[in-house]
Amino acid sequence: MSNNKKYWKGLDELHATPEFIERSQSEFLPEASTNDLIGQELGEGGTNRRDFLKYLGFTLGAATLAACETPVTRSIPYLNKPEDVFPGVPNWYASSYWDGVDFCNVLVKTREGRPIKVIGNRNSKVSMGGTNARVNSSVLSLYDSARAKGPMAGASDSDWVTIDSDVKNQLASASAAGKAIVVLSGTVNSPSMKRAVADFIASYPTAKHVVYDSLSASGVLLANERDFGTRVFPDYSFDKADVIVSFGADFLASWGNSIANAVQYGRVRDAKSGRLARHYQFETNLSLTGSNADVRLALKPSESGTALVALYNKLAAKSGAAKLSGGDTPYDAEVSKAAEDLWAAKGKSLVVSGSNSPADQTVTNAINTLLGNYGTTIDLTNGVNIRAGIDADMDALLADMNSGNVAALILVGVNPVYSYAAGTKFAEALSKVKLSISTADRADETAQKCTYLCPDSHYLESWMDAEPKTGHYALTQPTIRPLFNSRQAIESILTWAGKPMDAYSYIKQTWSTSMSATGGLFEDQFNTALYNGFVEPAAITVGAQPAFVGDVNAAAAALTGRADGSWELQLYVKAGMGDGSHANNPWLQELPDPISRVCWDNYVTMSPAEMKKMELSRLERGDFMADMVDVTVNGVTLRVPAFPQPGQKSGTIGLALGYGRTATGKCGNNVGVNAAAFITTVDGTSSLATAVSVSVVKANEKHEIAATQTHHTMMGRGSILKETTLSEYKSDPRSGNPPVLLATTNHGLQPPSKINLWDDHPIELGHRWGMSIDLSKCIGCGACVTSCISENNIPVVGKEEVRRGRDMHWLRIDRYYSSDMTEEKAHAEGVSAIDKFLAMEFAAEAPSVAFQPVMCQHCNHAPCETVCPVAATTHSNEGLNQMAYNRCIGTRYCANNCPYKVRRFNWFQYHGGFNEFGNNPAGDQLGRMVLNPDVVVRDRGVIEKCSFCVQGIQAAKLKAKKEGRKVKDEEVQSACAQVCPTNAIVFGDLNDTESRVAALRADERSYNLLEEVGVQPNVYYMTKVRNIESAQA
Amino acid sequence: MDKGRISGTLKAFQALILFAALFVASASASAQDGEKLFKQNCASCHKVDDTKLVGPGLKGVFDRVPQPAEAWLLKWVKNSSAMIASGDAYAVKIFNENNKSQMTAFEYLSDDEIKAILSYVKAPPAPVAATPVEGTSVATGPNATDAMSDDTLLMVLGVIAILLLILVAVLGSVGGSLQALVNDKNGLPAPERYPFSLGRVMSKNKGLTAIAVLFLLLAGGKAGYDLLMGVGVYQGYRPEQPINFSHKIHAGQNGINCVYCHTAAEKGKNAGIPSLNVCMNCHTYVDQGPSGKGEIAKIYAALDFDPATKTYGTNTKPVKWVRIHNLPDLAYFNHSQHVVVGKIECQKCHGEVQDEAVLAQNAPLTMGWCINCHRETSVQTADNAYYDDFIKRHKGKLDGEAITVDKIGGLECAKCHH
Repeated sequence: MSNNKKYWKGLDELHATPEFIERSQSEFLPEASTNDLIGQELGEGGTNRRDFLKYLGFTLGAATLAACETPVTRSIPYLNKPEDVFPGVPNWYASSYWDGVDFCNVLVKTREGRPIKVIGNRNSKVSMGGTNARVNSSVLSLYDSARAKGPMAGASDSDWVTIDSDVKNQLASASAAGKAIVVLSGTVNSPSMKRAVADFIASYPTAKHVVYDSLSASGVLLANERDFGTRVFPDYSFDKADVIVSFGADFLASWGNSIANAVQYGRVRDAKSGRLARHYQFETNLSLTGSNADVRLALKPSESGTALVALYNKLAAKSGAAKLSGGDTPYDAEVSKAAEDLWAAKGKSLVVSGSNSPADQTVTNAINTLLGNYGTTIDLTNGVNIRAGIDADMDALLADMNSGNVAALILVGVNPVYSYAAGTKFAEALSKVKLSISTADRADETAQKCTYLCPDSHYLESWMDAEPKTGHYALTQPTIRPLFNSRQAIESILTWAGKPMDAYSYIKQTWSTSMSATGGLFEDQFNTALYNGFVEPAAITVGAQPAFVGDVNAAAAALTGRADGSWELQLYVKAGMGDGSHANNPWLQELPDPISRVCWDNYVTMSPAEMKKMELSRLERGDFMADMVDVTVNGVTLRVPAFPQPGQKSGTIGLALGYGRTATGKCGNNVGVNAAAFITTVDGTSSLATAVSVSVVKANEKHEIAATQTHHTMMGRGSILKETTLSEYKSDPRSGNPPVLLATTNHGLQPPSKINLWDDHPIELGHRWGMSIDLSKCIGCGACVTSCISENNIPVVGKEEVRRGRDMHWLRIDRYYSSDMTEEKAHAEGVSAIDKFLAMEFAAEAPSVAFQPVMCQHCNHAPCETVCPVAATTHSNEGLNQMAYNRCIGTRYCANNCPYKVRRFNWFQYHGGFNEFGNNPAGDQLGRMVLNPDVVVRDRGVIEKCSFCVQGIQAAKLKAKKEGRKVKDEEVQSACAQVCPTNAIVFGDLNDTESRVAALRADERSYNLLEEVGVQPNVYYMTKVRNIESAQA
Repeated sequence: MDKGRISGTLKAFQALILFAALFVASASASAQDGEKLFKQNCASCHKVDDTKLVGPGLKGVFDRVPQPAEAWLLKWVKNSSAMIASGDAYAVKIFNENNKSQMTAFEYLSDDEIKAILSYVKAPPAPVAATPVEGTSVATGPNATDAMSDDTLLMVLGVIAILLLILVAVLGSVGGSLQALVNDKNGLPAPERYPFSLGRVMSKNKGLTAIAVLFLLLAGGKAGYDLLMGVGVYQGYRPEQPINFSHKIHAGQNGINCVYCHTAAEKGKNAGIPSLNVCMNCHTYVDQGPSGKGEIAKIYAALDFDPATKTYGTNTKPVKWVRIHNLPDLAYFNHSQHVVVGKIECQKCHGEVQDEAVLAQNAPLTMGWCINCHRETSVQTADNAYYDDFIKRHKGKLDGEAITVDKIGGLECAKCHH
């Protein structure tokens, strides 16, 4: 039957207007007059062809003439030069980083008064020289143009005088009326800030201080209070442990003092010295920590408690203590093994739990007590002051606000509307508070709802102090004047308390009373502290540990009675992004997640087998159109892309916090979804794991994912990532690293290094820069990547470009999963070659994971050099493969010929495009200040790659020459080696026989990537040694 | 004389000269140290002749001061204020004579160093007869570039020549036309219009034409090449500066060491334009130059300094100098590498700065120029332990050749481009 519906193109067709009829007669639309267009531009009508040519000729002539003229460059010296500042010479300052999540003693490099780089302070005992991606990237956040330019009242600009007088009036009247005033902050570890808050409370007796941590550790604090009578986050010594068992604690990335944890962990991953701890990880998602574990077991969050109780019971059986009821776990074999190893390493072991429930923590405490770990690997007397928030306090505050009891709320460094589980409720409650002030650095989700925004200065603009660990003090000093009209939160609080004082004087006042005990002039002590960045005791005295008095039976009962669900959710924190407070930092957004290798997104991680069942795309073979799923937890639904994650426990999903910001700036807004609403309360504390009422439903929508790695396994190749087991390594140090293929020549069998296609470079005469990367120590954290980005002005390219495979990172960390299919298995089972390779492509369901940082290998016989038609890439006598950007014409032959695929091409003028390419720092007037002036910003159409930080090499050589001495070992540091928390990357002179890198190169574990290709790289890798029995390999 | 004997005699002569030079050098070692020390520490305020700078001229100082002169002077140089305070009569006298301006205390100088300076002051080398420098005349102001440069003259002459040629051609053409008119009137046949037309000449002398065309092509090619290679090269660039600062007066006549003002040249990448507090080391007292007070007053204005009361105000404004030596961003150059490690004289690249009233860019600053110098200059390996390993490893590989910069990788791209 014919359809007599009429479709029309537009309303004018429908109404058949005369214009429409006339137009429909002619084939083309009437031409718009070019004359009119140009005429408008030039301010006159009727420009014809000849006029156009005249303009063209004039412009050309003018441009030519202008080019002849010497461009006038102004050079403006200081009127009165500071003594220690020389243009072109960097100044380093010791400072401290504290963002409410991580504490780090840092060194800040400034050039001409601009901070341009942040690295770890190796002398510190608190952060031990480690850093993480956020610390390295924090220098870019300083130059974030989304920061508030000054104080704001509501949505309009205001000034400090007006705000201060109104705030003081309101606080006074609130106090007089007996209404509550609340200072809500993250964990405060600054003695001066604590004093300022106390001063504030003294001025307003109705005021109180509430602490809220976006990543809570209430469970640990409450359990320790119950069990040992001290509410403290203990100081863990991972480097003193021979056996480490972690129940879901991602201690290398987000749990506890993670920067120090990583440094300590690196010390017990040293195969050469035999300090190789065995690490068990029982967890749901494949975390950074889990991926480094020797033995990893995936379990559901609801099963974690019983496994913990089972471990207690096994150890109790050995020690003769009373068993707990329950503890039947399906993972008995693994738990028994862990128990045996732990018992064998009594007093030198460590059990940690990532759960925020006091019950889990009490059982963990009891286990550590059984093992006698208190006083050795765990110290309760020198607590780490990085988490102090108790979740119940925050819930009580919300109730108070709703009841109208809170008249004034001052938020210091927290953003609960975004990060708090009940964020939306908090936003509603804020409207009931008469005076609300945020000291956020920008109009964030919470600040937008506040009466006033009184922006705090960035830590690189601030004076601050800290006591990150009991008895260990640190100082933060400004390295630049405040860029905007901001004021430090401590100064705001002091002003409102009626005791205005600048932060510097106030901190000195605090210190002069607390530090003068040691004798000597205070001024000298303070200046020494400022020079060092910290004051620390010479040795840590471990005090007598309080006895365990906790009720482990009650805790065990709570654990074993946990309900399970068909779907269980485990929220986590990404190693790069953290809690989301740095979401507007494009370096962090573009840093691929160490495990999934995905950037610019968060997603639900699922077991690939389960995804197959649900008919979700498993993103195989470079497909990155993910299916969306609707995840519902307790009635809240979020639509999230699903990502296949080998190692994920089936029946569980993982989702990262820290995404889905809506008011942080152009770069971070609406990237991913905010999972904070999925945080639940279990046993009175917030919980990142949820077992009940979770549903996952496939949604009829696709989502583009940007990942930087499309292959995930070794496919049976042996010359890229080499690994062995500890027992095999002990019997044969060359195990896992057999001599490479010998090739037949007319001189007999020769190793590939002897078969030369090219003449040798005279690299044995001067320096020969080289690098050694210990795969046993590399934890994949990504600190090296961000350090490289900031040192070498590497552009941000944005999600779309990453999807096209155009990420520009000079240094990538490849992550490999093991596969269920191996050569041996295929041989034994008679699998055909094609089937074998097809199967090898997929990761095992419970894969072992390895990380491999790959940058330019600086081959002595570099294939890239021979194919460059313009000699833009050449070899130096010091073993460097050099890249002269101004010679490069962009043929990309070199990139094609590189066996390691480390060369990057500038497809666009990335530094020119702020909006197009994910907020490139160099594309923004302010962001440009972060650029390292010693490194050229590359233009469109040229290749770039790792230079071994040649600018640093040159600087160190020059220093040695000027001082008339040899270059000291490890004086030259590449940006990656400089920040590596585990010292996996060692840089130095291979010709210097006494250098560390030369010794490492001579080690039996040392090998070159793809040695059989014969390109003779100057980068050496060291076989990964896993501390497992050979049978488990 | 045969060739061998000539060279033999030459060698002997050379040896003699060398020996003599060595002898002289060692004999005057202390005086030379003294000269260096004097330039570093004293020259900004004192001259060795009898002209007064900030402090009095030092000619005849040994006869003026109380005897024994050396002992008195040693004490004075080390800490003059202490001597004045102690009431030494002569010390108080010269303090008053010099507007009560205090002399810096040189406590860090050793006795030997001061003695070296004194021996230099006692017998300074005879001043070299000043040769007038063309094109720079202090009297007419440092910016005067009145004298027509050779280039301009050539250009003007060229234009005149072309105009004359055109005139000849036009006159010839007019003459031809007139002759044609006359002939026409007289009924004679018109004269051949272009008896020497270019085409006819060319077709008759093909060989010559070919050579001429080739010559023109080559000349044009060379001119074009030079033009293009000169793009971005600003050799000779001599901009007008906000203050008519004369290196001739400071570095030349007063003999102030370059790094006294350009301190950063020994520290790092940039030699640095001195900050005004460096100028004020002397100009707190020296408020007048050869051209009057006008130029120095600009420093005072920038610093908001009142020369009468010698006080500083707050209304300061920076001096915006015009940068002369400008390397592109893609090239990394470090002054300290060249000045401290390479021991290169500033003049090697910047020319005879001490003779220039208005500074200009002396070198082309092209990559070819850099490379050329790196090929010719020897590395200063002596007394520098940094190079020990390098020399050890090179033993027997250099055949006695000098170790020039290019031999240690001084031509490699990444040394300057990173």
